[in-house]
Amino acid sequence: MSRAAAIFSGPLGCILPAFLLLAWSGFFLTAEDQTSILLSLLSLAGFLLAAVRLGWVNILREAIAVQERLWDACLITIMLALMILFREDHYNLFLLGTIMAYATAVLGLNVQLGYAGVLNFSCASFFGVGGYTAALLLSGTDLPPLLALPLGGAVAALTGCVLLLPVLRTSGHYAALVTMAFALLFRVFLDVSEWFGGPQGIPVAPLTIAGLDFSQGILWGDAEFSFYLKYDLLLLLVLCLAYSITRRLERSWIGLALDAVRSDEVASACFGIHIRRWKITAFTLGNFLSGLAGALYAMMLAYISPANFTFADSLLFLSILLLGGIGNIQGVLVATVLVVIVPEKFQVIQEYRYLIYSALVLLMIVFRPVGLLPRKPRAYTGSPA
Amino acid sequence: MNRLFRKSLYACCLALLIGLSGAWLQPAEARTSFKVGYIGPLTGGNSSIGLGARNAAELAIMEHNINPEAKYYFELVSLDDECKPNIGVQAATKMAADKNILGAVTHYCSAVALGTVDVYHRFGLPVIVYGAVHPDITYAHNYPEVLRIIGTLINQNQVSSKFMLSQGYKRFAVISDTTDYGKSHKEFFTKYISEGGGEILAEFGVTADQQDFTVELTKIKSLNPEVVYFAGLYPQGVRVRAQMEKLGVNAQFQGVSGVKSDAFITGLGPELAEGCLSFLEGSPLEKLPKGEEFMRAYTARGFKNAPDTMAPFAYVAMTQILEAVEKVGPDRKKIARNLRAIQGEDTLIGKVSYDDHGQNSEPYVSKYVVQDGKWLVWEDSDYASGKRSLKK
Repeated sequence: MSRAAAIFSGPLGCILPAFLLLAWSGFFLTAEDQTSILLSLLSLAGFLLAAVRLGWVNILREAIAVQERLWDACLITIMLALMILFREDHYNLFLLGTIMAYATAVLGLNVQLGYAGVLNFSCASFFGVGGYTAALLLSGTDLPPLLALPLGGAVAALTGCVLLLPVLRTSGHYAALVTMAFALLFRVFLDVSEWFGGPQGIPVAPLTIAGLDFSQGILWGDAEFSFYLKYDLLLLLVLCLAYSITRRLERSWIGLALDAVRSDEVASACFGIHIRRWKITAFTLGNFLSGLAGALYAMMLAYISPANFTFADSLLFLSILLLGGIGNIQGVLVATVLVVIVPEKFQVIQEYRYLIYSALVLLMIVFRPVGLLPRKPRAYTGSPA
Repeated sequence: MNRLFRKSLYACCLALLIGLSGAWLQPAEARTSFKVGYIGPLTGGNSSIGLGARNAAELAIMEHNINPEAKYYFELVSLDDECKPNIGVQAATKMAADKNILGAVTHYCSAVALGTVDVYHRFGLPVIVYGAVHPDITYAHNYPEVLRIIGTLINQNQVSSKFMLSQGYKRFAVISDTTDYGKSHKEFFTKYISEGGGEILAEFGVTADQQDFTVELTKIKSLNPEVVYFAGLYPQGVRVRAQMEKLGVNAQFQGVSGVKSDAFITGLGPELAEGCLSFLEGSPLEKLPKGEEFMRAYTARGFKNAPDTMAPFAYVAMTQILEAVEKVGPDRKKIARNLRAIQGEDTLIGKVSYDDHGQNSEPYVSKYVVQDGKWLVWEDSDYASGKRSLKK
């Protein structure tokens, strides 16, 4: 092992990349004019290319593998540092919040598609079920508002039960069609239900926990921090929770069973794995996470309408998962950041940005169909991968 | 030190250098300038309207900037709402939270505007809504920052129903999209038609992305109405009109303001579009002394997109914001107050007065008909003079 590799396989191997990542994202998020945005993207691309060529990626991967807790702590510190950095910047805090909500929902999708191989083209609908549950609970009942979060997830999971039978009895294209149909039905259902606000949508009351009003800014001495900061902190908590759940699920024997179900149903049935049970578990857990994220996102947004939860949005969630690399939850985080921020940053090129975006998606599918950070095969010996 | 480590160091330095140079390359400001905003649908099905309106807002700023008497210099920040409420709230938050932006001209889609008015109020950004017509945008609250230059769809349907009844039509079939825009249109139109003695034979709600109307139109054909009233936006208007022809529904096509777009005629071709009716707030450009001037200025700037319907509204709204800044300086509260005080101002689109909810209360609604591939004001058309006649 060379000297450099020796240094970077220790704690420094996690802390230095994390610090670089923080510096870069801070710069990128504050970049407003075209030149800085392009330059920061180019420098990232150059840096990544260099990292791949010089073998830094492997060094980092090994460093993470042996000290995973440190790396997770680094990631949380990056988010917290960004929040502190943008404490008065409403817009960037809102973007961070959107990223975390989307990432949580996609983690749910990852459990379904990435682990158990259950197709779900209606992730945004379950995200929406959570949002609408929160909206109705906060305005219509006296339940403690915090309860709206788990209930949002629970109602989404329950709604998913409607789909269980068709999802279990179909496979491949047909399963995809079933969930697509659900996404379209959900939209139409909301459009015609006056009770849910109809197409015009409904306002969502802000979250209050023990008298702490989330729609008010935080007063700190002379400074007033954005109210989005509160939502961001809560979203970070939820994301960490979802992340650790999926991580543990993947590592456990349940994850092993799910992998088996995805890879070969017949073979795993021969080994006594109850296929239906695991499919139902994955589908329901995934919907729960999407609903949970949706409830919190709706509260942050303060106004939701059916147009936020269309089939196109489901495809967006799916594209995040594909971009990141199906099954790899670190990839999900990276891809969410890219998919949410990059189109937003390219507002300068206005109507052309979706053209470029679609071209990039196509290039991605042709040249790297496994995603940016594909999932590694399970390692049964040595350090956990 | 080994080779890999040295190479890594070089690469690090290079990356840092590239990243940092971005900060220094920012252009130097020439003189004190302020920012104003525009938000509308720049991508998606309604982009034709949104792009035209953005260009018009830009035109207003260009004209202001070359005026030697102007105290301030303005820059336009324009954002896309994609006609989606969550993206709209995102864009609105970005714009409203930016203290350098003094005012904005915003939104064509009602659902977006309904979601964003709270954001503008929270952050205190004065906005003038240029194209969204749902009544609640101004009347559901009383936010001092929110104004609207276009009339609400209540006035529009008062005028259109009265006009249709006066043309002798009595039997109507209604197709409306299930967005709040289509639904509110349907609500007020059926109300005024029934009050005026007309008869609504059937009502059909269709989702905003429905492509095929065979079911609705076959039913309508059997009811044999004199008029098919369509409440929705032009992309769907094109499909409804085209399929009416295909299925042989021989009734007069009546649209709402969302149909009055040049893209409606291009989509149908002049023959099918012939005789289609539409209604729109404000006086027609050609009728106003400054209308031709506006068109000339717009063309002279070489914008890539046609101005389309909402451009004059966005132009006037932006001009009003710029004038308010000139008058009271860069103070958002004062700008909002100053805008609210506008009463009876003569503008490109006719008189403008804001009421106690910030709604333009000079609801002039113009009637349009397609003649030889162009939207003509009813009064100027061959139809009004009796040379051609609408379908009976």
